[in-house]
Amino acid sequence: MIGILGKILIILAFLSSIAAIVFYFLDSKHPKARYSNLGHAFFIAKGLFITVASGLLLYLLFTHQFQYYYVYNYTSLDLSATYLAAAYYSGQEGSFMLWILMSFLVGLALIKWTSPVYRSPMMFFFSITQFFLLMMILGVDIAGLHLGASPFRTLQEQMPNLPVWQVNPDFVPADGSGLNDLLRSPWIVIHPPFIFVGFAMMTIPYAFALAALWRRAYQDWIYPALPWALGANLSLLIAIFLGGYWAYETLSFGGYWAWDPVENASLVPWIVGVAGIHTMLVQRRSASSKKASLIFAILAYILVVYQTFLTRSGVLGDSSVHSFVDLGLYSQLLLFMVTMIVIAVVLFVMRFREMPSQEREDPILSKEFLMFSGALVLFLTGLVIILGTSSPIIGRLFVDHPTPPEMSFYNDWSIPFAILISVMTVVTQYLWWRKIGNAEQLASQLIGPTLLTAVVTIATIIFADVRNPIFMLYLMAGYFALIGNGWLMVRILQKKPRMAGGTLTHVGFAVMLLGFMGAAYDRPMLDEETKRYNEAVLRGDVVDDEGFPVVQTINMIELFKGEPKLVDDRYLITFVQSEITERDRPGEQEYTLRIEDTRRNNRSFYIYPVLYPMLANSTGGDVSWTVDPHVEMGIFSDMYAYVAGSYLVDREFDNWTQGVFNPVSQPVSDGLPVPESDMIQTVKVKRGASVSVDNYKLSFADFEFLGTDEYPENATIAVRAQLTLTNLADSVSIPVAPTFAIVRENDENVTFAPQVAIGDTPISVRFINVNPGTEEIELELSGIRQVEQKEWILLTVEKKPFVSVVWLGTILLMIGFSFSIMRRWSDQKRRELREKKGEDQLDENEAYA
Amino acid sequence: MKPRLLFGIIFMVAFTSLVMYNFSGSIGSYVNFEQASYRFGSETHVIGTWVKDMPHGFNNQTRTFNFHMMDEEGNVRRVVYNNAKPQNFEDAIQLVVKGKMKNDVFYSDDMLVKCPSKYNDQSLETMTAGASS
Repeated sequence: MIGILGKILIILAFLSSIAAIVFYFLDSKHPKARYSNLGHAFFIAKGLFITVASGLLLYLLFTHQFQYYYVYNYTSLDLSATYLAAAYYSGQEGSFMLWILMSFLVGLALIKWTSPVYRSPMMFFFSITQFFLLMMILGVDIAGLHLGASPFRTLQEQMPNLPVWQVNPDFVPADGSGLNDLLRSPWIVIHPPFIFVGFAMMTIPYAFALAALWRRAYQDWIYPALPWALGANLSLLIAIFLGGYWAYETLSFGGYWAWDPVENASLVPWIVGVAGIHTMLVQRRSASSKKASLIFAILAYILVVYQTFLTRSGVLGDSSVHSFVDLGLYSQLLLFMVTMIVIAVVLFVMRFREMPSQEREDPILSKEFLMFSGALVLFLTGLVIILGTSSPIIGRLFVDHPTPPEMSFYNDWSIPFAILISVMTVVTQYLWWRKIGNAEQLASQLIGPTLLTAVVTIATIIFADVRNPIFMLYLMAGYFALIGNGWLMVRILQKKPRMAGGTLTHVGFAVMLLGFMGAAYDRPMLDEETKRYNEAVLRGDVVDDEGFPVVQTINMIELFKGEPKLVDDRYLITFVQSEITERDRPGEQEYTLRIEDTRRNNRSFYIYPVLYPMLANSTGGDVSWTVDPHVEMGIFSDMYAYVAGSYLVDREFDNWTQGVFNPVSQPVSDGLPVPESDMIQTVKVKRGASVSVDNYKLSFADFEFLGTDEYPENATIAVRAQLTLTNLADSVSIPVAPTFAIVRENDENVTFAPQVAIGDTPISVRFINVNPGTEEIELELSGIRQVEQKEWILLTVEKKPFVSVVWLGTILLMIGFSFSIMRRWSDQKRRELREKKGEDQLDENEAYA
Repeated sequence: MKPRLLFGIIFMVAFTSLVMYNFSGSIGSYVNFEQASYRFGSETHVIGTWVKDMPHGFNNQTRTFNFHMMDEEGNVRRVVYNNAKPQNFEDAIQLVVKGKMKNDVFYSDDMLVKCPSKYNDQSLETMTAGASS
């Protein structure tokens, strides 16, 4: 019932979006209040429909209506309210809904704040994007075509071939299959909404640019568009930052950035958006770069759509860790993208001839030209990243079944671009803010920062032992950007603090770039023995059981409980304890490790890496384990640690595969039948010593050589051990004296070791060997459970330099963006006020005339 | 033609060809184990599935995860993965291993685990079998 209502609401929203498109178009062609009011009415109606539909979906999720596929697939009874709410956008259908909802809110803001000149055409283009997004979740058949995947479809619609429907058409699963364990993290609450606010806001510059082309207002559109463009980029930046932090901190992707297609999907529109902001600033200042501003504004959004197409159509199936479900939206997504491109290209070509072109060229050493070139370099960086991300498509030019490019492809290209951009920020900023007429003046202004850069760079190279010449150059460029922009920022802060947003952004950018450098020095922290082993592997000295050379180095360390190991000649790591805590998930384990820094007075701290079984994802006897790393943040470097394997994992895994799944923490050995073979074990003990075996203590007092009269038949030598078995539970001791003899049989020496029962216990002992030299004897005990294995863990610890510097840079960037938004917004408000006043004055003048 | 425009065009052509050249060099092609064994000493990507009933496990000595994988052509080879067992390994419907083939053993430094949408008709079928009877 609710499902049908939800579907109807989405269809109504879809139809309203068509109506909104029509009326906004009419209003743009023949402006009439009636048209624009109807357009707004339908736009708002569409928003309300989608809001109510979202409410219904949330209601279904919270009431666990598992007859709906979406509810069944992304939730289960044990989910907390937070994750139930997040499940709204955890699936592809829901994430489209969130995108539409965010676009609607952004659209409302546009209706309120955009000047009437652009409003209708903007809302026309805006509604077209909404039309396509709504089509993705429509879920109806039109003329044999299946359009979209509705979040409200039932299990039965999703899988009509299940036999259960014939038996029981009203079948409802008792529980859902649950949210992916990896997504059960607080970050899912905040990361996706920012992404979609960013995507929705990226539509604004696109719509502004197209409206400007329509209205032939090539200059004025940038004033109102600028704060929106900055806002869109800020949202995307926050989203990228949150995603990177999430990946690094809890998802154990190994780092904050991996050039994964889905990461690139939000990075490239951001880069092109930033390029657009710069050309808009050029245009604002000197009325040049008009075409570039239009192109970048359009392109940034088209790239959003293109990357959506790449990540959601199944094209990237083999190359991304983010496995999106292929909902069969390939053609629809393609149509969306093609339409967006065609609209833009047609409008652009139609207006191309009449667009004012620049009369004179800017000199090379002018802020306009340099800033424009900077934007171009940013754009090229974006292009290279798109090329890499598109390898499944573009790679077919070269090979049949292309793989994604090596990581080095992205790194090799982004490093020189970063160097270039760093230097350009400084030069351009100086030209922008200082009165500089020629190269000589510029050089004299830059002497201070350059010298300081040189000193700091050389110091870093020596101190950190940087050997790679490209890295040296990169470092220098990063420092130059930091020092140059920083110095300028201080000046501006003294005079016009309101204007400091831009320089702060550049300082943040420089700090971030310097932080990235650290990633090149990521390395596992290892103990001496493992290091030696790795060196031997690299020399080719290590062979495996079959005699083949081992080629892989080891990047983790093995630790036994209570036995410290010195790592990197500096840190003493001790595995203190392991515990099944089940804090956030069933079966969750927490490990406690102590790390002592021997170079800092043995200052010690504890780390708590976590491991958990992915029960929600697992079927049958197989259990996947996932790590939740511990990140010990430092100013200069982070220590990143996770448990790659442990005795506890093995034990729990064994228990589960035996069908004794018991997620509640309790000693697993209790109540389990122990196979006979496990109850036989061999122990060694020296004369006068004792060993503990499970709950028993076995003491070996002495042994005596037997007299020949006591010899078993044909024995050449015979020994008897005086043993005492003490039950530690009740302190009852039972003496036992098993015999060991060498017997001559068919000219061969044979061990004679009869099994001797110990008192009336089920335990028996066999004396199987003796070493006269060390006075150590070997005994085989039956009937006592296997000795607890040594408690071991495999720990991967990595040193990741300057990660916090990256975060610092990103946060500075965000603050810089925020300042710029405030400044541009208030500029625009004042501008509107002035224009209004101007009109009023005009009216007055007319009255006088 | 303006010199700056000319320079721009030359730059763009040079840039594009360099990027494309570099790009074509940095991508590979997915191969099967047979083909991988010919490409001695070079990095390859192989797509396949885990052969569950063959020996597998973590080797504490070499700290490697060992398992057998069947590629898309049906060739089964031992894979030595230089790390702990990756997340989601058991659920994977498909594995992509990246590495080198030596003596019929595939040494992998990187593995991509493709998971199903957590959901397939099969598992529900077994689940509902009990409920409907």
